[in-house]
Amino acid sequence: MTAAADPLAPPRRRPDWLLRTGAGIVAVVCVLAVIGPSIGPYDPTLTTPRVAVPPPPAAEIPGLVAGLLAGTLPHPPHWMGTDASGYDVFSRVIAAPRTDLVIALLANGLSLAIGVFLGLIAGYFRNWGTELLMRVSDVMQSFPVFISAMVLVALAGRSTANIIIALAFVYTPIYVRLTRAEVLSQKARGFVEAARAMGRRELSIALTHVLPNSLAPALIQSSVTIGFAILLTAGLSFVGAGVRPPTPEWGLMISTGANQIILGEWWPSVFPGIAISLTVFGFAVLGNALERRHEGG
Amino acid sequence: MLSRYILRRVLIGIVQLLGLTVAVFFLIRLLPADPVSRLVGMNASAEAYAQAEAQLGLNRPVPEQLAIYLGLRPDIGPGLLQGSLGTSWVTGSTVGAEIRAYLPVTLELITLGFLVAFAVAVPVGMLSALRPGGRADKGVFVYSLFAGSQPEFWWGLLFVYVFYFQLGWAPPPLGRLGPMTAPPPPVSGFMLIDTLIAGQPGKFVEALHHLMLPVAVLAFVLSGPIIKMVRQNMARALQSDFVLYANAAGLPRGRVAAYALRAAMAPSITLIGILYGFMLSGAVLVETVFSLGGIGQYAVRSVLAFDYPAIQGVVLVITAISLLVYLALDLIHAAIDPRVSH
Repeated sequence: MTAAADPLAPPRRRPDWLLRTGAGIVAVVCVLAVIGPSIGPYDPTLTTPRVAVPPPPAAEIPGLVAGLLAGTLPHPPHWMGTDASGYDVFSRVIAAPRTDLVIALLANGLSLAIGVFLGLIAGYFRNWGTELLMRVSDVMQSFPVFISAMVLVALAGRSTANIIIALAFVYTPIYVRLTRAEVLSQKARGFVEAARAMGRRELSIALTHVLPNSLAPALIQSSVTIGFAILLTAGLSFVGAGVRPPTPEWGLMISTGANQIILGEWWPSVFPGIAISLTVFGFAVLGNALERRHEGG
Repeated sequence: MLSRYILRRVLIGIVQLLGLTVAVFFLIRLLPADPVSRLVGMNASAEAYAQAEAQLGLNRPVPEQLAIYLGLRPDIGPGLLQGSLGTSWVTGSTVGAEIRAYLPVTLELITLGFLVAFAVAVPVGMLSALRPGGRADKGVFVYSLFAGSQPEFWWGLLFVYVFYFQLGWAPPPLGRLGPMTAPPPPVSGFMLIDTLIAGQPGKFVEALHHLMLPVAVLAFVLSGPIIKMVRQNMARALQSDFVLYANAAGLPRGRVAAYALRAAMAPSITLIGILYGFMLSGAVLVETVFSLGGIGQYAVRSVLAFDYPAIQGVVLVITAISLLVYLALDLIHAAIDPRVSH
């Protein structure tokens, strides 16, 4: 059955607006990671004297904007209110991508680099050493993800660097496995044999011919991993095993607001939550689009 | 044939658990944490520190500590070989007993979460596969991407705000039962079962009421990947020759869909096992939001207190359960799809 005649294949034209939304969200988050901490009305790591101020109701917003432009306000408005300690929620929400995205990108980059390299070795050279490598990778993959990340961060010290290392540790086995599977299928192809017939060394064949052809699954997985790394970073903060206050980080903000939400103060938790929700969704959409494009040819 | 397969899987599982135990053992001792000073306080005298260190056995060389933990030194104390997970450094009770007290809540929570997610996801995924590319299919596709990428703890808080604070439909997120309710005598450890054993239907309903929001949150985040999987497998099954034949033979559409569903469920089972194992520790955030006191919260408490035996125990038990779930589901898979066992 050919793909064209297949009535049950996924529709050829996926809703384009969806991909555009995802890419747009990711672009905004990336820009905020660069400029976010410096464009907010308040310093994201300093408290204001105004505690637990709710966000302005919609009707007051035009007046506040006019006042802001005319310079008649005593202080810049708290667009998303302030939390129980007096931090400006808006300034912290837009400053947080620098923490969250940098952790996620570096953790993903680290696990991608290590995982792809090990996967290439394990797939291309098959001996007892690479067998052992795969068994170790199996054991690592059977670790409960959240608990091992939490153990690593809590016992090594709650710093950004340790969070990055912990996340890289839990995500590396996925890349080892993905790359190894792809290498196994690639190295049976004719171009490898051709290179060998031309007298190329094995290591050079592995690096220059097999590696570039085996990268796609790992790169596609990256978008998904970055999204999950953001969720995991936030989750770690939520249970008290993540970055330290007052670092602007979405999960930490949700966590500090969690005690007030039962009392009806929703804004300190709700706004950072919307930010995570949209960001991770954006990366998921992007990853899905990449996957489709790759499968489609 | 089947029993040999099970035996082999169990043996591999035991080796894997042993590797995991050893890896975790060395890992937590390699990291620069100081559980002794966490226990005796920063200002303790050198003698008090040394005494606590000796009491925890941390003054011995690490390989010897491992041998004791594994139960290879019964002269010093019982270990894994003797069926003991050790004693918590913080509470002083045995880790085995503590895990037995915390685990049932988590199992109740995620099992109910899976059932609800399934009840929603299977029909939705199926309908979406029956009319691919339609408006409903596109909507379902966006929903499953969205639900599969959400911070579940934030949704938990949001649900608390809406259903407890605003609407008053849910109880406060403060545990398994109301503060005035005496828990039923523990028999199985599962609150829902124990209330029935004790013949207290009122408390059963109360326990169910307290589980309502956490189960809804879990079912929401789980429904994303499950819908995606059901849709994919269903679409693949509908393309297969037996469906073509059934349609050609003029069977009613509903009957054909039912056949296809059965074929679609078999490959779905593996993913369910992986999700279930993931949720054993992944439910920790939902447990925290609703103060349910499950195994995840026990893990958080142990990790933050540097309670090494408890950390080891939790990791070991959770992994063992996931491996058992994988095995059970692989057996079910083989029962549905006989090709697998060959």
